[in-house]
Amino acid sequence: DSHIQYERVGADVTMKCGSMDWDAAVTWMANGTDIDDSHLNGSYLILKNVDLTQSGQYFCYEGSSWHLKYQTILRVGVPPKEPVLMCRSNNYPKGFYCSWHLPSPTYIPNTFNISVIHGTREMVCEKDVFPKNRCHIRYLQLFSTVKYKVTLTVTNALGKNSTSLTFDEFAIVKPDPPESVVAKPVPNNPRRLEVSWQNPSSWPDPESFPLKFFLRYRPLILDQWQHVELSDGTSHTITDAYAGKEYIIQVAAKDNDIGTWSDWSVAVHATPWTEEPKHLTTEVQITETTSTSTSSFMPPPTTKICDKGAGVGSGAVAVCWTAGLVLAAYGVLFI
Amino acid sequence: MAAADTPSASLRHHDLCSRGIRLARKMRSDVTDLLDIYVEQQGLDASISVAAVEGVPAAAAERWAEQTGTQRLLDNLAAYRAFRVLLAQMLEEQREQLGDANGELGPALAAVLLQVSAFAYHLEELLELESRRTPAEEGSEPPAPPRLSLFEQKLRGLGVLRELAQWAVRSVRDLRQLAKHGPGSSAALGLADSQ
Repeated sequence: DSHIQYERVGADVTMKCGSMDWDAAVTWMANGTDIDDSHLNGSYLILKNVDLTQSGQYFCYEGSSWHLKYQTILRVGVPPKEPVLMCRSNNYPKGFYCSWHLPSPTYIPNTFNISVIHGTREMVCEKDVFPKNRCHIRYLQLFSTVKYKVTLTVTNALGKNSTSLTFDEFAIVKPDPPESVVAKPVPNNPRRLEVSWQNPSSWPDPESFPLKFFLRYRPLILDQWQHVELSDGTSHTITDAYAGKEYIIQVAAKDNDIGTWSDWSVAVHATPWTEEPKHLTTEVQITETTSTSTSSFMPPPTTKICDKGAGVGSGAVAVCWTAGLVLAAYGVLFI
Repeated sequence: MAAADTPSASLRHHDLCSRGIRLARKMRSDVTDLLDIYVEQQGLDASISVAAVEGVPAAAAERWAEQTGTQRLLDNLAAYRAFRVLLAQMLEEQREQLGDANGELGPALAAVLLQVSAFAYHLEELLELESRRTPAEEGSEPPAPPRLSLFEQKLRGLGVLRELAQWAVRSVRDLRQLAKHGPGSSAALGLADSQ
């Protein structure tokens, strides 16, 4: 079995060829390549100021017989820096989870040990299968004023480091974002968009622990968001959208009474309803041809698009006025 | 129990639960403001830890989800009756220490005391609707406050207010469970899928 040897970046490493005498003739190889004599002190291999590229398998052979006398795996790395730890309850009141990572790699294996203390009680943090750097705790008590203390220790062959977090039950409550956000135009309403969403599936009991929501929306062409806070329900109708402009919409969630807002949901896009423009184009072309032969121009009393029988409500009035103005403008141009 | 099952009783139950939730949320908001005033006027560090205070009902509950509606009401009522006494004692101590120079603290304490009293009364109404006899308050005279140094008094007061803030949140949750299960549901468990 190969022996593994861990060394710090920048260290000087001396490898002995097993039980061979110092003055024995030997050959060292690393990762299938001979190591030249400049790195040898007798039969000892000397590696000065090692770096990550020198990790690998090292073999030592007796000079003439080429018997393998020693082998080792060299792993060059660094001790762990202070880990980054976060804890959050996205499934209140079931429990909370803690997750962690190292700010920079160590290049060698690390083990993580987490402890959770609540008052005098030590609680078990069950490691998740995936992701590996996470564990979860079930609440044994609710509404406690006693804080939780979570300590994470990371250890590798070159050293250890640790960090702690202290918090109370309410402070870490943060739901996942709302799901299935849908935004639709409202037929015959050029300034409305209907938005609906669902509670995050990770929130276990929205009936007993209801969420409130924050909706933000803006037309793509502007940077400024509009915000609406909604204390109940999972839908909202935007009534002040700019006609014909595409909107981007997002929703966030928070427990009604405790904790912080979720991240924003996935953004959805929608454009308010607009009336079909194809008749307008056809009528303008016909009228333009007619008006070039007159010296004064009067807009036609009615056009097909202003037919009251169309039953399109206030939108139709705006279209009629617009058509009239367009026609008048063409008339002026051709006088 | 039959009275609790009538449609009018259900409506009244729902109404009392809804109003109770609003009262509890308002109370929590005011207690949070009171805590800020208290910490500032008493010259305390807001992050200071306070050990469990004797005589202060702890809001912490194990197996909270499994409690019956009646148990929730009884626990809440016992707690707010205790807070009524504790806050009255705190108010008296403030007046003795500061006299008329009570500043914001005295009126804020008095306002919360009023809300606590009102909430306790509200809970009694709910219990009566559940056709439960409202338990009598123990003794006619409140127990004498423990003899403490001024600093210990301040810490005790902090502990009282923090626990009251927790209770206000718990009460909102308890009343929602109550509303969910309807009147006369003392046999029905307040079991949420959550625990």
